[in-house]
Amino acid sequence: MRDHTNKLFPVQEIGSLPKPPWLISYLRGRAVEKPELEHLAKWSKISGFEAEKDIRAVLSQPKTAETEKRIRNFASLFAIRFLESAGLDYVYDGEANRIEMYEHPIRHSEGFEFYGHVRSFDDRYYRKAACVRKVGFRDAYHLDEFTYAKQAAKRKIKVPVTGPYTLAEWSFNEFYQRRLADDYHDLSKLKSEAKRELVLDIATQIIRPNLQALVDAGAEWIQIDEPAVTTKPGEIPFFVEAFNESTAGLSCKFSVHICYSDYRVLYPDILELKKCSQLALEFANRDDDTAAAYAQLQLLNEFEDEREVGLGVADVHVDDVEEPSLICGRIKYAVKTLGDPKRIYVNPDCGLRTRSWDIAYSKLSNIAEGAEMARREIS
Amino acid sequence: MEGHLTGAFPRSEALVEASRAAARGRVSPDELEAAYARDVEALVNLQTQAKVEFVVDGQLNWKDLFRPFSELLTGIRLGGLTRWFDNNTFYRKPIIVDKVRYAGASLDTYFRCSLPHNGARWKAVLPGPYTFAVMSQNTAYSSFGDLIDALAHSLKDVISELKKAGFEYFQFNEPSICFSEPSKNELQLIKQAYEVLVKGIGAKTALHTYFGDAGKVIDSIIDFSTDCIGIDFYATSIASLVEHDFTKEIGCGCIDARNSLLETPDVLRKLIRKVEDDVAPKAVYVTPNCDLEFLPQSIAVKKLHILAEAKETVA
Repeated sequence: MRDHTNKLFPVQEIGSLPKPPWLISYLRGRAVEKPELEHLAKWSKISGFEAEKDIRAVLSQPKTAETEKRIRNFASLFAIRFLESAGLDYVYDGEANRIEMYEHPIRHSEGFEFYGHVRSFDDRYYRKAACVRKVGFRDAYHLDEFTYAKQAAKRKIKVPVTGPYTLAEWSFNEFYQRRLADDYHDLSKLKSEAKRELVLDIATQIIRPNLQALVDAGAEWIQIDEPAVTTKPGEIPFFVEAFNESTAGLSCKFSVHICYSDYRVLYPDILELKKCSQLALEFANRDDDTAAAYAQLQLLNEFEDEREVGLGVADVHVDDVEEPSLICGRIKYAVKTLGDPKRIYVNPDCGLRTRSWDIAYSKLSNIAEGAEMARREIS
Repeated sequence: MEGHLTGAFPRSEALVEASRAAARGRVSPDELEAAYARDVEALVNLQTQAKVEFVVDGQLNWKDLFRPFSELLTGIRLGGLTRWFDNNTFYRKPIIVDKVRYAGASLDTYFRCSLPHNGARWKAVLPGPYTFAVMSQNTAYSSFGDLIDALAHSLKDVISELKKAGFEYFQFNEPSICFSEPSKNELQLIKQAYEVLVKGIGAKTALHTYFGDAGKVIDSIIDFSTDCIGIDFYATSIASLVEHDFTKEIGCGCIDARNSLLETPDVLRKLIRKVEDDVAPKAVYVTPNCDLEFLPQSIAVKKLHILAEAKETVA
């Protein structure tokens, strides 16, 4: 599927933005402070956000279920206008309504329990759930946000959805391992088969009904986020099988986002992804030298993989803002490597939730400007 | 039957909160240190109640396996966040920028053996020199052999000091040895590194492997000079070990530190018996397959109780 906008190098987001400070304070029941209101005013002005007064009215009221719903919708709209004004062609809501990409879907699905925190690195932690019963669908956890974003956005929509392999890999697996325990004497084989069953059940019981709900509601492009997919290279076939089970027969464009990985381990298995039109990949983080950073683009040529590429052109883990000329150079390098410029979309490496709003906006604006420079040079 | 932990223990929810608050400047360094001390004391109490033969301090203030050594050794600075093997956790890659050496820095902050422990002996857990070398970025040594040799000598100096402080058992964590598939030449270098580490130390030593199939390298590491080899039986089949003459003790990594599913006594008893019967090592001791820090603390505590139960049941 080619781009609806009929221009080269469409610019897309990948997923998350930071949560607005006024949203966090309000949801936590704290008084919204002056600097937070100044943040609202500043970005409303920059992005042409039309509901600043409405937000201020809600923020002045005590938190209720009704005001919480309203403020969350306003946060979605705020993110949409932010992305649109930065010049993106495909937008979403910065995942404003999600806890984060793992905990949100797990809390809205059957079969999981949270026991406590585990450390990710340094003094950072995340809540890791255990699958304690057969997994199941509880509700279409992205449907409301999608419905709202679809009517609010002035640009095309792409919906990010955390994929089944990542949800399984980031969870403990009690139920399926216990269920198979008598069938395996070798513990490594037991863990592997139990993992496969968990991944596939998440795909068929949770992800597919969620995707179906989004497609039924009019979603035209869904991005499956699988940052964990290369954690255990031997399990990449589980990811492929799960992706295909999740998407079979659904009338929608699908892409996969993968990051911070050696992409070589994905091949040749990912050639078997049947409904994946695009690989959105992180590159900019890898090296300041373009040829070194984008070397693994050659894998697509090597394996005759002719899908679109979502080209990561801005590093989301540093505050240094890439100049448009650098982004333009990276796009031209990708064109030189892949040949067909129509296959190339441009995006940040990953979601921008760890950057400030200022840095995120500068990075996105420069991506849009860099893409325009490349367009002028290559058209 | 003996049994003990293999390294890092998860932080309590109170310490999680304290460390988060400290990172935001809302808790003072002294308050954070007090929170660490409370966790260490609680962990020591748990281990003594579990009647383990060797007590560990849980590495509760280590940010990763190598981080203390960027302070304790010369020539190392911190690099970027890098995935920790096949886990959803990350470490900062050490960058070797100059000659590595232990110059006598105080070890008290990172190795704590001063608490009462009802007569149990203390085990120090350190990175093995091979894993340390492989997981670092070397910009100072002209060869891998020179780097691993320097790390072995530095770690030897550290454990010599730790022995004076009261540690009686040194365990070297070497996940890379069965994860990275070292070449024959590298295995020879690793063997030499362990000869440096162990020679004349006068304490019990263990090489602990995990995250990979030890069967692939057992031919080589079985002759290394440590007293014990720890094996992750969630990644290694017993069958791959049976053809060897095991004159060492085996650390039977049969409690899964990477899954919250609680092991049943019956399953553990059968597994340990099978290791004893089929592999016939000098002795077997019960351990988790790796650091329990991959679990929330509430589950890790339950797994420590399971370890204690397994020790008693099999004995």
